[in-house]
Amino acid sequence: MKPQSLRTDDCLEKAIRFYADMVYRLAFARTGTRHDADEIFQEVFMRYIRKQPRFENEAHRKAWLIKVTINCSKKLWSSAWRRKTEPLDEAIPFETKEDIDLYHELRQLPPKYREVIHLFYYEDMPLAEISRVLHRKNATVRTQLTRARALLKDLLKEDYDV
Amino acid sequence: MFRDRYKHMCDRVHPDNDLIDHVLRSTRHGKRKRNTKVTFFRKPVIAVLSICLCIFIAVPALAATVDPIYDLIYLVSPGAAQFFIPVHKSDEDNGIEMKVVSAYIHGNRAEIYIAMRDLTGDRIDDTIDLFDSYSIHRPFDSSAWCRRVEYDESTKTATFLITIDEWGHKKIEGDKITLSVKEFLSRKTFYEDINIPIDFSSIAEADTMENMYMTGWGAVNEDDIPEHMTALMPSGPMPAFPVDGIDMTAIGYVDGMLHIQIAVNNNLETDNHGSVYFKNADGDIIEEKYHFYFIDQSEQSGRIDYCEYVFDIQQGQMGDYSLYGDFVTSGMRTEGNWRVTFPLEQSE
Repeated sequence: MKPQSLRTDDCLEKAIRFYADMVYRLAFARTGTRHDADEIFQEVFMRYIRKQPRFENEAHRKAWLIKVTINCSKKLWSSAWRRKTEPLDEAIPFETKEDIDLYHELRQLPPKYREVIHLFYYEDMPLAEISRVLHRKNATVRTQLTRARALLKDLLKEDYDV
Repeated sequence: MFRDRYKHMCDRVHPDNDLIDHVLRSTRHGKRKRNTKVTFFRKPVIAVLSICLCIFIAVPALAATVDPIYDLIYLVSPGAAQFFIPVHKSDEDNGIEMKVVSAYIHGNRAEIYIAMRDLTGDRIDDTIDLFDSYSIHRPFDSSAWCRRVEYDESTKTATFLITIDEWGHKKIEGDKITLSVKEFLSRKTFYEDINIPIDFSSIAEADTMENMYMTGWGAVNEDDIPEHMTALMPSGPMPAFPVDGIDMTAIGYVDGMLHIQIAVNNNLETDNHGSVYFKNADGDIIEEKYHFYFIDQSEQSGRIDYCEYVFDIQQGQMGDYSLYGDFVTSGMRTEGNWRVTFPLEQSE
């Protein structure tokens, strides 16, 4: 029994290390602060450890982690009293002016647009997959991406071809 | 390219090693505690203490005016709720009251909560949409968005959060600011995933039109958008189209691509819109390659807005697919002239 248990733990560790950046970046993209991303990161992997869900394949595992990250972000969003105790200004992890400017422009988008932008442009997920993972209608995701692009074009002006 | 810049930015974001180590230790030792700084009390105690702090210490704005709307503001804008300043100024027109509840002006951004209430009827419902008719009166261009954050059925009141960014990062300055709303849509009907009964067996190459005014386009993959787009010649509405307020006006092949055209009359007054897609026998969705919008410039009464969807499905494959769509139509448009001027207080 012990080897089985150890092997399971090994899998957990490997998976956490493998998906750590993905979960953290999605959480950061949606919330815009390291503090919130830290909270969500812990919550997502604590759920993962606690439930140890069975996955059919890696795509299934990735989809589960993305969905839980989004859910935890929404939960954090609704727990209003917690956030008021945190400082509003915190160090952002960017050094170049381009990254800092882009970060501030993206923060002007509603969170639901930021998550679609992140999954589409960073995770390179097709719309059908985003729709499946977020449990949203394909047309809804497409509309959100179109609107997010339109807002970004306004915000970024001619700086980037969105 | 935006994708490259976005990836460059995100690549800079990593969880701290301490954070990862803490989570990994949980897998090794079966710990289930989260790495929070406050671990001395159980959650209910923390919650009670926090609520006490909120009520008695942290929120001077609440002390001035205790209003249920602030529960909503804390829910929607938790990070900035304490900076919202009560306004409570209203205007009434056409039996509709618009109240500016609270505002937070910082830098070039104005965030304003407004409540719309029907004093005489039930024109406001949980589908209400301000239809981009809101603005702050400033001499500079701005971008804005609005979301309905609550609808109270008992009072027929809808609350919105309007966010307006003035372009050029100019600080919004002055003694006062005026917000106006000119119209709203309501009584919307949502058609989701409905089948559109079409006999595809006789679809053929179709006539195209020369003179159209393109108003926009889009695609899942922007590389799929051709340099030159050709639209079908509109015909009369398809009788069996299952949506009131939207018509299907043409379907046919152009250069081997299947075009499907839908149209809306007087769309500037209705905002009726939707999209179409195909499903195969397994229920998999086949998206369009691209779509584009145009206005017919030929002689006619009233404006017609067209949207044409272009699919890469060959005639011989059509028997394997069925056409579906999602649509939204508005049942009522209410006009008015609601304007509220309130003191401008920069929070920064």
